[in-house]
Amino acid sequence: MKDIYTIIFRLTLSCILAALVMGGTYIVTNKAKTHNEHAREQQVRLALLGYSSTNPAPESVELHAMYRYVISGGTGQSIGYLLPMSEKSEMPFSLVIIDLDGNFVEAVPLQITPEKVSEHSERDKLVTASLGTGRTARFADQVIIVTDDGARAAYLLGGKFQGFKTFINVMLSIDPTYSIMGLEVLEHEEDPGLGAEIEQDYFRNQFKDKPFDVLKTLAVVKKPLPKDYQNALEGKIDESMVQQMIEQYRDQDIYALTGATISSDAVLGGVKGIVRKFVYRLTILDKVIKEQQLAVAF
Amino acid sequence: MANTKTSMQLVTRGILSENPIFKLALSMCPAVGISTTVMNGFMLGLAVFFVQVCSSVTISLFKNHIHPRIRIPTYTLTIATWVTVIDLVLAAYLPEAYAKMGIFVKLIVAFAIITMRLEMFACKEGMKDSFWDAVGMGLGFMVGMMVIGFVRELLGSGAILGHDVLGFKPLLFFILPSAGFFVVGLMMAFFNWVELEYKKKKGGNS
Repeated sequence: MKDIYTIIFRLTLSCILAALVMGGTYIVTNKAKTHNEHAREQQVRLALLGYSSTNPAPESVELHAMYRYVISGGTGQSIGYLLPMSEKSEMPFSLVIIDLDGNFVEAVPLQITPEKVSEHSERDKLVTASLGTGRTARFADQVIIVTDDGARAAYLLGGKFQGFKTFINVMLSIDPTYSIMGLEVLEHEEDPGLGAEIEQDYFRNQFKDKPFDVLKTLAVVKKPLPKDYQNALEGKIDESMVQQMIEQYRDQDIYALTGATISSDAVLGGVKGIVRKFVYRLTILDKVIKEQQLAVAF
Repeated sequence: MANTKTSMQLVTRGILSENPIFKLALSMCPAVGISTTVMNGFMLGLAVFFVQVCSSVTISLFKNHIHPRIRIPTYTLTIATWVTVIDLVLAAYLPEAYAKMGIFVKLIVAFAIITMRLEMFACKEGMKDSFWDAVGMGLGFMVGMMVIGFVRELLGSGAILGHDVLGFKPLLFFILPSAGFFVVGLMMAFFNWVELEYKKKKGGNS
């Protein structure tokens, strides 16, 4: 019986010690970690738009984040878009609420700095507060609209979907005609040597330059990837040749990874879903912006 | 039971006569799942090496304060703490290495080899000996993983260290986790054969 007290005491003590060590490390490293993640995100965004550190984006290129919220309460559900407004308007942001039939409900101007908008908790609080009592807002996703000299140049879409094992987190860029510009796999836990190949250039780049109409009916084929196409996808040949190759295979289906058809299928399905939903939502939003003559920044 | 071996003997023992994979056959599941290429094997080996050394030293330092009835939970707690610390530090200061090693580091909590070394060695011996024993076991695991990775990469994807050498993929089967067991089995047979031959030769000469 005496033992049990020492056991309880020592176990508790070791747990507290371990917690202190882990907590201490977390506090020390957390800042550097968030900084890394942020830097990586920026890098991925630029890479998807075709820029890099050696080929930086010109100053005329601007990124505008648009946040989508699902609003419940009041008269059922509706969708709220937190949109950046142009410099001429009084308030920097506006929450545009659209009902489920795609009709405009209201626009709430919001006074919030761009720094605060990028912080999750601050933004959620402000959006909920602006709705008044009886309505709650739940964050759904964010899209980045890229403008070059004021004209839309691209959209950056993020998304998460089920892979073979766990979730696959991707980011992709599409141009104003909704052709895919690039695909990047941010996070996944597929099998090394099999499904993990989704992050390789020869798989990812197959999505490049696929027009929206082709994407709608795109499928995965279980055939070996032609050697010359693979070289082009990995950038091993001349750039002009690469373009020619991509054009040649533009209407072709995606070649499945050997031994990982399910992962390949999952990525294609996920990409299709992300683009389709975005195009559907953007069409409705653009219609509302036009009808209400909202002075948005993009 | 005091340790009578020198530091050097402790290290070579971990790599050869008591190699964790080919001789002790421990931590097979995670090892077989990951060792698809030489590089993957090396990364996992490196991560195990650090956790093994840190945990062994910690346990041998605190061995007099660990109640015998709760030693296994204490070992698990120690390993988990070190795994978390290494995971956080890597993510913060070496993001590029972490992008490759991240999934391996988290797996290590479940490795039997580390708990076994703590139970067999670190909780009885001094800090210096425990350190060298951990170094030996860590290196032995790393070497084993790299050898398996070499065979599987060559046969499964026709490459060595990511460079295509064969130009074709001889047997895709070797990339799959189950093939890892085949490779480990063949390696064990090979090691035993070498040992037998060596002993026979030695016996014949004397």
